[in-house]
Amino acid sequence: MVSDSAASLATLRALVLAAGYMANTAASASAALAHVQAQEPDLVLLDLRSPELDSCELTRRLRLLHEDHLLQVIVVGATHDDEQVIHALRSGADDYLARPLSATLLAAKLHHSAGRQRLQSRLARLAQRQLDIIDNIADAVITLDVNGHVEDMNAMAHALFDTRPTSHHALPWSGGDCLSLLGLPLAELLSRRECQLRRADGSWLSVDISCQEWRELSGMFYTLVLRDLTEKRANEQRQNEFLATVSHELRTPLTSVLGSLGLLAGGAAGRLPAAAMQLAAVAQRNGKRLSRLIDDLLDITKIRSDQFVQHQREQAVGPLLQEALLASQAYAGSLGVQLEAEGVEAHGGTELRLDADRFLQVMANLLSNAIKHSPAGEVVKLRLAVTSAVLRVSVIDRGPGIEPAFRSQLFNQFSKNEAGDLGGQPSSGLGLYISRLLVERMGGQIDADPVAEPPSHGASFTVTLPLAFQPTMNRSAA
Amino acid sequence: MKKLTRVMCVEDDPDIRLLIEMSLAIVGQLDVLCCASGSQALASVTAFAPELVLLDVMMPGLSGPETLCALRQLPAMQGVPVVFMTAKAMPAEVEQLLLHGATGLIVKPFDPMTLARDLQPFWEHGRGSS
Repeated sequence: MVSDSAASLATLRALVLAAGYMANTAASASAALAHVQAQEPDLVLLDLRSPELDSCELTRRLRLLHEDHLLQVIVVGATHDDEQVIHALRSGADDYLARPLSATLLAAKLHHSAGRQRLQSRLARLAQRQLDIIDNIADAVITLDVNGHVEDMNAMAHALFDTRPTSHHALPWSGGDCLSLLGLPLAELLSRRECQLRRADGSWLSVDISCQEWRELSGMFYTLVLRDLTEKRANEQRQNEFLATVSHELRTPLTSVLGSLGLLAGGAAGRLPAAAMQLAAVAQRNGKRLSRLIDDLLDITKIRSDQFVQHQREQAVGPLLQEALLASQAYAGSLGVQLEAEGVEAHGGTELRLDADRFLQVMANLLSNAIKHSPAGEVVKLRLAVTSAVLRVSVIDRGPGIEPAFRSQLFNQFSKNEAGDLGGQPSSGLGLYISRLLVERMGGQIDADPVAEPPSHGASFTVTLPLAFQPTMNRSAA
Repeated sequence: MKKLTRVMCVEDDPDIRLLIEMSLAIVGQLDVLCCASGSQALASVTAFAPELVLLDVMMPGLSGPETLCALRQLPAMQGVPVVFMTAKAMPAEVEQLLLHGATGLIVKPFDPMTLARDLQPFWEHGRGSS
């Protein structure tokens, strides 16, 4: 309570205490300010009748003392005069009480004020909790407005990008826009998933960007989460080195084993008896299988790594399919299986963005599977179909088909259908899995279906790829 | 057509060295000198005067590429094709080796029954370009 009249103070104090609140008094503006500064009261009752006090000025200065703390000010006026009430409220007071003071009205106002205070501190606690959570995120979180101006950023963003020597994260960052903070304009940031950003110390940082756009009354905002990729890159580097070493260490002894067997079986050390030849052939076949398995495992690791690079370019699918058929011709011939193309002439001119080597790898795998499972004298069909959105390549065989129970795991690792593995090339059980990984990397999908056409046996493997997005006519004209 | 006759092979693994020697000498009917290290190869290359050098990539001491550099310093060795053997064969590595001036690459495991035949095109290519 602030008043320069001791009598007024005493009356007010008695009423407040009677209502069940704690009360302190101040007889001057400076005493009031000092008290509010030290004690942070929730409410100030300010006597308008004090000629020594400029109540408007005092209200303004009281409010400045604690920015975060809600201080309510109720002025106590001489009469219930509208003019005075309006003036007090315009000067920043929250409420007005007229004399003569009613004990019950004062108690009601104090009660109401206490309720507001509780709500306010709950909001403040929630806001603080959110700030703490955001600040404890290990990624940089930066919010920008539509013009790229920085609205706020968390502690990690300050640590990484804020060039000011002593920055306090609780304060909003008013240093400018994302161009000055990160070295990139807004449009660039929004269009990228990964990029290099300039750090506060001048070095460059690889980051993964995820962006959330949201709306508030004042407009649109973008919250960017920037994840430091340094560690990830280092891991990838280590993984690559490990792979290279493993590859070398596994293949070196295998080279000796297969080399010795090759020379033995080839008669370089003298002609072998028939039974020994048979054993050498078994050892050789399985050595080659082991070798293929190592190749496939390394290939999978490569494809699955984030650094997997596809050498994609726009090209017609026809020539690639012809090449795939030609490459499988010898194997098909050795098993008495015929290869047939359907729709390749008609739709072969269809262009799409592809890594030719990897596409051929998928086709070779599907064709060799189909050939392996086909009885001699049967036909393996390669069918090309094109719709407005996708291209479908199917490899259809007349083999025993796929057991329904096995279908769901067909494209998983080591999902070899032992029952269907009838001699031929030993497989690692990874071919379809690798094909699936590759097709998915190309943005497509691979499916296996039983053949519906009579006679109803056989399997059909279909690769579906999205057709290249045709931009605008302008581009082809230009 | 003239055939490749003298090959020097540099390989630190004694088993693989034996295999290469048998493969080239017995199956391929070539004159072969096998060396266990890059420095051993450098010491005997001039006297042997190979028409082609088959070089392992990963070796203790002088590595394959280092041996290649040193070989290229010798006047007699400047036009002689050098073929690397590697068990790694990562695309980036292959590119790097060819940039270093290798004529070609044989991937391990190799087929000992065809190794001599497989080397022939590299030798012809090397002769054609020199």
